[in-house]
Amino acid sequence: MKNGKALFARAAFVLVLLAIGGVMMVIGRGHTVYLDNKKLEYNGQTYGTPYKVEVYVNGEKVAKLYDRERGMATCIGQTFRMTLDITQEKGGDKTTQSYTIQLPYNMDGVIINLPAYLAGLGEDAYLSEFIPSPEEAVPEETETPGGEEGFEMPSMEESTEMPSST
Amino acid sequence: MEEKKSFGAAALEFASNNIVPILFVVICAVCIPLSGFSVSYLLNEIVTRMGRNIFLILCLLIPIMAGMGLNFAMTLGAMAGEIALIFVADWQIWGIPGVVLAMILQIPFSILLGLLCGSILNRAKGREMITSYIISFFLNGLYQLVVLFMMGPIIPIKHFSIKLPRGYGIRNTVSLLNMRQCLDNVFAVTIGGVKIPVLTFLIIAVLCLFIVWFRKTKLGQDMRAVGQDMEVARDAGIHVERTRLISIVISTVMAGFGMIIYLQNMGNIATYSSHSQIGMFCIAALLVGGASVDRASIGNVFLGVILFHTMFIVAPRAGAAITGDSMIGEYFRVFCSYGVITIALVMYETKKRRNKSKTAQELARAAAEETAKEAAK
Repeated sequence: MKNGKALFARAAFVLVLLAIGGVMMVIGRGHTVYLDNKKLEYNGQTYGTPYKVEVYVNGEKVAKLYDRERGMATCIGQTFRMTLDITQEKGGDKTTQSYTIQLPYNMDGVIINLPAYLAGLGEDAYLSEFIPSPEEAVPEETETPGGEEGFEMPSMEESTEMPSST
Repeated sequence: MEEKKSFGAAALEFASNNIVPILFVVICAVCIPLSGFSVSYLLNEIVTRMGRNIFLILCLLIPIMAGMGLNFAMTLGAMAGEIALIFVADWQIWGIPGVVLAMILQIPFSILLGLLCGSILNRAKGREMITSYIISFFLNGLYQLVVLFMMGPIIPIKHFSIKLPRGYGIRNTVSLLNMRQCLDNVFAVTIGGVKIPVLTFLIIAVLCLFIVWFRKTKLGQDMRAVGQDMEVARDAGIHVERTRLISIVISTVMAGFGMIIYLQNMGNIATYSSHSQIGMFCIAALLVGGASVDRASIGNVFLGVILFHTMFIVAPRAGAAITGDSMIGEYFRVFCSYGVITIALVMYETKKRRNKSKTAQELARAAAEETAKEAAK
């Protein structure tokens, strides 16, 4: 009986950990959001760009976009909230509006076309996946840095090199 | 006169018992002014390193309590933590959720590795430290096999930024930029230019409380009994092997948590080297704090981190000031960290032998007196 209780408690503990892990996977999913201020041709119609769009995420200005410019922001979770200061014409008035966009879980990089989004088009028009080319994604391989605290000793082969400093 | 003499003897005994911390206090006292660092810079660095390292060092206390000496196999937990972080980085889970997920993910790996290590150490009683040291080398090879060859073709890893250009294996460095210092920045306060990572210190405080509480539990008492004398503990009905196994498993799991806290602070994983030196330097820091192979406390951990890392911070600049070459300071601090382990181990062994011979002499004297008494009768 005592063993049964202990087993039940352990199973419950494991289930709680799994549940927490599952929740973390959903709420912690990170996305890089690319914001394009580019003209869009969609269903034979052209959606022009505003003169200037200033993008704020969490109260912080992340981009100031003129025609054909791209900005970038990061987002943890699937809900991306941004505030846009839009100036339609040069020297014109600025309008401020907040927007919330649901991001797909499976996309690491998401491109949002602002003219299409502001025109109220569907997700297929304003949202696409950012797929980096392998050449872009792969930075130059570097030597194992290690020793961020200056801990490592040089190996026998590289005994003339110094351990890295803090 | 008698009182003065006893005070001198007491002072000498205190000095001989605390030679390593005293030596480090002297080194720091000499090096700090020479380094020319401002007080706020030094404090900032020390506080950052305390937040980064203390959790890892605390994981060494439980095996010491169980009489298993310094657990060089804490690197196993560090490896488990790194593997969990590699997965989390590949799945793109950022920030605190990423850290929490990595902590949960590392638990089964750490338990498995801890069980393996503990059962081997149970077969090598009395030689735990050297055995755990060699186990860490053996499992480092296994870790490299998994990370270098199995991640990609067998274990799915999809991100280009993590995989080697050849298509399998993990890069030398995995970026944790999206979770860098995410724990440290929560509730962080800056006092006089010194950033205090409040949440990290709270986590450390919880672990300290856990250790204090654990010592008072039945299992904790069993561990202390096993640590003092295995045979007596066995006669008292304590399952010695199981108790020792649990102590290593707890230490390994804690080391995994500690490694994740350490790496979130650093902001990247040096995939093939982060774990390999962590054991050595955590042990060095603990010994610098005045701990020994069979006795260590939370106070030793804090004092050790402060002294050891102060030396690490100031030594290169002090070396440059003294010799005109900062490389001397670099070598000096590495030399010190290995040297202190050697000194502590030699001192422990000397003390143990001295005590053993003292006990043997007392026993021989008692036996001789007994024989003399019997002869007189």
